[in-house]
Amino acid sequence: MSEEQEQRTPVSLSGLSADDPRLQPAAKNPKTVERVIAITFVLGTLFFAGFGALFWVDAKPWTLGATLGAGMFFVGVGLVAWGKYLMPRGPFVEERHVLANSDADRDAFAAVIVERGGVVVKRRKMLAGLAGGGLGIFSLVALFPLVRSLGPLPKGTLFHTDWQKGSYAVDQNGRRVNVGDLAVGSIMTVFPEGTQDSDRGQAVDQTVLIRISNQNFTTQKGRETWGPMGYVAYSKVCTHLGCPVGLYEQQLQLLVCPCHQSMFNVTNGAIPQFGPAPRPLPQLPLYFDASGNLRSQADYDQPVGPGFWERHS
Amino acid sequence: MGVTSTLLRRVPLLLAAGLVASAPLLLFVGSANANNLNPPPTTRKNAGTPNSTIVVKNKAGVVIKYGNKYITYKAPSSKLDTLGRALFLENCASCHGTEADGVPANGTSGAYPDLVGLGPATIDFWIDSGRMPAKDLAAVEAPRRVPALTPAQAVAIAAWVNSLSASYPDIPTPHLKNANVAEGAALYALNCAACHTIEGDGDALAESTFSPSLRHIPAFQVVEAIRTGPANMPRFTGNLSDQQVSDITKYVTTEIEHPNNPGGLGLGGLGPVAEGFVGLLIGLGLLMLICYWIGDRS
Amino acid sequence: MSDAAATNKRAQRQAQGRYGMIGKTLNELDDRLGIAKGGRTFMDKIFPDHWSFMLGEIALYSFVIIMVTGVFLTFYFIPSSALVTYHGSYLPLDGQKVTQAFSSTVNISFAVRGGLLMRQMHHWSCDIFVGAIVVHMARVFFTGAFRKPRELNWTIGLTLLILAIGNGFFGYSLPDDLVSGTGIRIAYSIMESIPFVGTYMAFFIFGGNFPGTSTIPRFFILHVLILPLVILGLLGAHLFLLVRQKHTQFPGRGRTEKNVVGSPMFPVFMAKTTGFLFIVSGITALLGAFAQVNPIWQFGPYDAARISYAVQPDWYMGFLDGALRIFPSWSFMAFGHTIPLEVTIPAVIFPGIIFNIAYLWPMLERKFTKDNEIHHLLDRPSDRPKRTAAGVTVLVMLSMLHIASSTDVIANFFHLSLNAVLWGMRILTVILPIVAYPLTYKLCKELQGVRGAGKRKTPNIVSRTAEGAYVATPTPAYGEDVGHELEATPVPAYIESEPEEPLESGVRTVDR
Repeated sequence: MSEEQEQRTPVSLSGLSADDPRLQPAAKNPKTVERVIAITFVLGTLFFAGFGALFWVDAKPWTLGATLGAGMFFVGVGLVAWGKYLMPRGPFVEERHVLANSDADRDAFAAVIVERGGVVVKRRKMLAGLAGGGLGIFSLVALFPLVRSLGPLPKGTLFHTDWQKGSYAVDQNGRRVNVGDLAVGSIMTVFPEGTQDSDRGQAVDQTVLIRISNQNFTTQKGRETWGPMGYVAYSKVCTHLGCPVGLYEQQLQLLVCPCHQSMFNVTNGAIPQFGPAPRPLPQLPLYFDASGNLRSQADYDQPVGPGFWERHS
Repeated sequence: MGVTSTLLRRVPLLLAAGLVASAPLLLFVGSANANNLNPPPTTRKNAGTPNSTIVVKNKAGVVIKYGNKYITYKAPSSKLDTLGRALFLENCASCHGTEADGVPANGTSGAYPDLVGLGPATIDFWIDSGRMPAKDLAAVEAPRRVPALTPAQAVAIAAWVNSLSASYPDIPTPHLKNANVAEGAALYALNCAACHTIEGDGDALAESTFSPSLRHIPAFQVVEAIRTGPANMPRFTGNLSDQQVSDITKYVTTEIEHPNNPGGLGLGGLGPVAEGFVGLLIGLGLLMLICYWIGDRS
Repeated sequence: MSDAAATNKRAQRQAQGRYGMIGKTLNELDDRLGIAKGGRTFMDKIFPDHWSFMLGEIALYSFVIIMVTGVFLTFYFIPSSALVTYHGSYLPLDGQKVTQAFSSTVNISFAVRGGLLMRQMHHWSCDIFVGAIVVHMARVFFTGAFRKPRELNWTIGLTLLILAIGNGFFGYSLPDDLVSGTGIRIAYSIMESIPFVGTYMAFFIFGGNFPGTSTIPRFFILHVLILPLVILGLLGAHLFLLVRQKHTQFPGRGRTEKNVVGSPMFPVFMAKTTGFLFIVSGITALLGAFAQVNPIWQFGPYDAARISYAVQPDWYMGFLDGALRIFPSWSFMAFGHTIPLEVTIPAVIFPGIIFNIAYLWPMLERKFTKDNEIHHLLDRPSDRPKRTAAGVTVLVMLSMLHIASSTDVIANFFHLSLNAVLWGMRILTVILPIVAYPLTYKLCKELQGVRGAGKRKTPNIVSRTAEGAYVATPTPAYGEDVGHELEATPVPAYIESEPEEPLESGVRTVDR
């Protein structure tokens, strides 16, 4: 018996013999498996080397991913196969101990919390109350700078846009819209002059301008003067979730929201005809001034965009 | 008791459940073509005005060619009228009528579009993109197909229809070397992507209408579509200059046609829908199969 | 024992140097940290071998990939909405005014070496991460692994899912491209729709009316610092509880409530799991190489007036988008206030209900089954028909909502009317879950009656005797199956199959 084996005996925990079936590899022919695993490792190494070379010469991204991925895949498969086929297949077992402690231990723990705490706190009720109150107020007040400094209050900003009496309608480049610009069946996005480059202009003031006909067009009762020469304008902010309603189907006369497919009929005041949008798109009253430029009569008569609690119309 | 016999005894139950489950499916397949919306007719005549720096007139003083360095428009020669009429009678008159007014021989007015005064570009676009002559008259929209008529024949028909009432826009020729593809990309995102999608693949729109894919479309047809607004597409006239239209056209015929697409397969431009499928079915699916290999199965 | 004797013994042990350098290092560590006993126990820790126990590992390793690729991306990403004029290598954007966030993401894709691969791997591994969490949770749910004592780990896992979804959304929003910008707009509106506090929440979180001033920087710090820290912490707790409470296991030969049968941590499980880490990374890298994801340069920069059709969020938000699409327009006014139920119900109340039921499920089940026992052996799903049916019902409903988020794609693909498809999805989302419950329940009941269901069968060899009779002979089990016939053993310190031989040829052969 060699010295090596002699030393081993005292720490061996079980009397399993070397030919115990549970210590055998799971593979029927370990030699073949070993050869296959060796091949995967060699392949993996080659792919990694290829990755390094390709990275060095700054090759196309897909070649980097392909070599890196293939290398990792082969090495991984080799490792798993080693563990699965060549290592002792078991099964092995481990005892599971009850997590719960004895009743005495539990009582001792609870006693510490309840009784020790009781002695100290009960005796100084007022102090405990004051300390609790102080910490409570602190935690409330500590929220103030965290929350209140995050942003401005909504105030009235949700209720009006930058369209005012006499605002010129301009395109995204700031060019004013003239009476001859749109043919029947045309659409464009307009902003009140001066806001076309601002975030707010794009998010809040954006308006679709559609020419429905050659004649003054009335979309609803009470809006007789809003559509001069067949030009009608609606807020481009969807009343469902605020996506830009930029999809106009001129034969169906529908404005469709590209996000959730709400459909608004432009000939009758953009009343939603299908989909989840609850309200019509607000219509912007228009007029042409003496030089033929398109201008707004006033702001929208209601808040644009999706619904919110404070909205009261 | 075997699993087969157990299941067999339950066949009626399973069938009934299956039927209930698939009823809504049948319902919506059945109602797919039930498009009953009648839009108010729109006036589409005399689209656009020549707004150009180059105007070529013939001896009689009639404008035959106009445009600028971005797009030139050319009216089809009146010499083609006779040929165009013959072709029209043969291919189009059964619906649009012998006078192109939308009144077939035994029909009533309004059933088919009146073509008089629509301008050569409109006629040329519909024929040259293979949408006309229509194959399926019941379809809500005529889809793009391999053209039945040659480009020369399309121009001839456009020439004859235009001779009935001369109108704009004429047949365009874009000169894309002057166009700016980056401007085109921005204009495309603002004006076109809402229907055709940002990658130009097209999609289903309201009711049974569809926005077509923008791939493999000749540049002049892109200009024709923008300027004339075929079917449900709005048209863009005074709000897009010839320069802007050529920018968009360049973007569509170069970048959308051949996207600079490093990073592998484009997944059909369907965005996160396709990505989810690939990530879950291929990525996660493959990994689960590998788990199945690594792990034990009992 | 005197101090001198102890010192003597220690010196003796060190002098022996029985295990060479490694043994020496371990001894030094044990002197200081006392790790020998715990270390041995940890190395002997048993992991059940069933394949479904590895689903959580997919999630874990995807998270590792997300961290590594994410750190790479932070080196180049600039979280700023300041406008710059793009002059990079992607021509269709040349000269356009874009935010720094967008331009730096385009630069990562086109100019940084390996950048596009890292971006795509980051995105793909996120898609896989959330998917793996979901299938892992489904396994835990349907096998009853959440029962006492593991309710807390179920809660942590569910929280991890929500955080993963949230962080996925923040990350998806960072490039400030057209598609993700639309997603932020929708998120803003959903927040605005909450009664009483909605507008204030939206204004505070985004720094003002849409688009706000602080979106990108705030989302960035949430995405790369705060949420990853919380996820890491909870992940640590999740794994700690797993080790402390030990694995569950399916019932089977030799498996009881008082033991765990499987493979030991070292070396078998370690080899397998390290290999699996490589495989997950490999497949993610291959996806990153061959499948494009989120090509933001094609989408272009976000601008509130621009929009693309066919925009959807990443898959794990799909059910919300679908719910928003199919929910009817039920806004109403009350006391001079707008209550946008068409948004609040599908996007706030509905997911709230689903997740809260999931949180409370272990408690609810304990209450209804009056089963307060500790369970370490798993249920077969068919043995708990009610639970299984309930889980299938919720999954069917979520799947239908997910499909509803691509109504336009379905209508386009099958050339159907968009309106009809939407109505179809409305009906299916209500009907299919209602059908799914009794159907699953029935199927489970049927399966219970089938002997040997779920058990692996060895093939029989059918032979004809000389008399013409047919005889079926079961084939002997082989390979890994043999293990199931054996009695499980505690892990011995030495698990080689034979005594060590002198390494003469350099290769040690293993014979059976």
